[in-house]
Amino acid sequence: MNSKIIASGLIAAAVLVGPATADKLDDIIASGTLRCAVVLDFPPMGSRDENNEPIGFDVDYCNDLAKALGVEAEIVETPFPDRIPALVSGRADVGVASTSDTLERAKTVGFTIPYFAFTNVVLTRDGTEIDSYESLKGKTVGSVAGTYEAIALEEDINKWGEGGSFRPYQSQADVFLALSQGQIEATVVTSTVASSIVESGKYEGLTIGGDAPYIPDYVSLITLRNEYGLLNYLDLFVNQQVRSGRYQELYEKWVGGEAPDLTINKVYR
Amino acid sequence: MFDYTFQWRQAYRALPQMLDGALVTLQIAVLSMVIGVTIAVILAVARNSHSRWLYWPATAWVEVARNTPALFQIYMAHFGLGSFGIYLSPYVALLAGITFNNAGYLCETFRGALRAIPDTQVRAGRSLGMGQAKAFRLIVLPQMLRIAFLPTTNQMVWAILMTSLGVTVGMSTDLTGVTQDLNSRTFRTFELFALAAVLYYAIAKAVMLGARLLAWRLFRY
Repeated sequence: MNSKIIASGLIAAAVLVGPATADKLDDIIASGTLRCAVVLDFPPMGSRDENNEPIGFDVDYCNDLAKALGVEAEIVETPFPDRIPALVSGRADVGVASTSDTLERAKTVGFTIPYFAFTNVVLTRDGTEIDSYESLKGKTVGSVAGTYEAIALEEDINKWGEGGSFRPYQSQADVFLALSQGQIEATVVTSTVASSIVESGKYEGLTIGGDAPYIPDYVSLITLRNEYGLLNYLDLFVNQQVRSGRYQELYEKWVGGEAPDLTINKVYR
Repeated sequence: MFDYTFQWRQAYRALPQMLDGALVTLQIAVLSMVIGVTIAVILAVARNSHSRWLYWPATAWVEVARNTPALFQIYMAHFGLGSFGIYLSPYVALLAGITFNNAGYLCETFRGALRAIPDTQVRAGRSLGMGQAKAFRLIVLPQMLRIAFLPTTNQMVWAILMTSLGVTVGMSTDLTGVTQDLNSRTFRTFELFALAAVLYYAIAKAVMLGARLLAWRLFRY
């Protein structure tokens, strides 16, 4: 065999193999842009400032990730129900969108190790005499459809009976509007959202009415289920954020206080 | 680029729940049509009346109902009235919004049908010795129903599709509500939406075929 044949064989192999092995991680690096699906009506994780620019924990997290990859970050505003269509249709590469890592959803989408953990509280209005989770018995309550806290709350309301009812809404903003208007008497939301909305003063008379005794809601970054290369990178990235202290730093900036543990004792992941 | 594997089995497991939702959807559509037709008849009479106390409110209703999006009408019924301290449940708000819309469109359908029948026919009837009421019942009404019937079933189909807007006010038991809820639990967006679309199509088609059959029975010469 002469060297010409070998060389052209190598070129042919490179042409054939090259595109076939490129995965999403390669695509992102090659394109120079990381597109993150972020929910922007979920402060302090994601919202808009006075200049309509996206801000929040998830926005910063996406920027950090883009920096690590050496690319530009692009925030793709995505309501909660649209996270999967955004990934599947190729509008976004990664969901940095406070996605609870349920086993049901994991049949459809790829989850990283948890990057954040929420605890839940009862949010109500002044004068409703709701001061604990148990006092929600028999009340009309609501939450964002399909979220971790909505599923737990609806189950409890049905279990208690006593004439209580549950209403799902499409967005967090609708829940707060309904609550401030008196359409619902209370909601269960993550403590971060509750303190942020009470502080903002956008809705008058909202107050926190005690803790909701749920297991912490661990949320993960999401991407397509078969993108192992990317998922592997993201797992390491989450680990590095904690290791380097950046997680604690971002937590203090957007929420305040000690960041919650992202690990569960005596088990991996 | 559409990177998605359809898992139909998982979606079919959700089918019983979605069929329950479809029933609620049909129920709201039927109720909104029954009430809507009643109101539309009153509006049509009011718009043909010479009293401005009847004419202007009815005209305002029709103008708003026909020239603003149904989504706003439903949203206002829930959150709009809510800010005045009037609380409608999602079910009632959705029903009210669609009924408001139906009444506006149907009023014009009925008025148009009424206008399509020449006055001379009533005069001819009168000259045969019929009273005003009898002439209306025997000459005008049958023709008016014939003209208005198919546009009315059209509005019925539109009412079925409008129920899907209920999710914006927290409606969770109709077909779209059930589908959205299942979607955020399982993330099987495309199978569930496809199934929901098929169900909407089937309901709308069934209503239309039923109406055709009824029209054929009722309005044959």
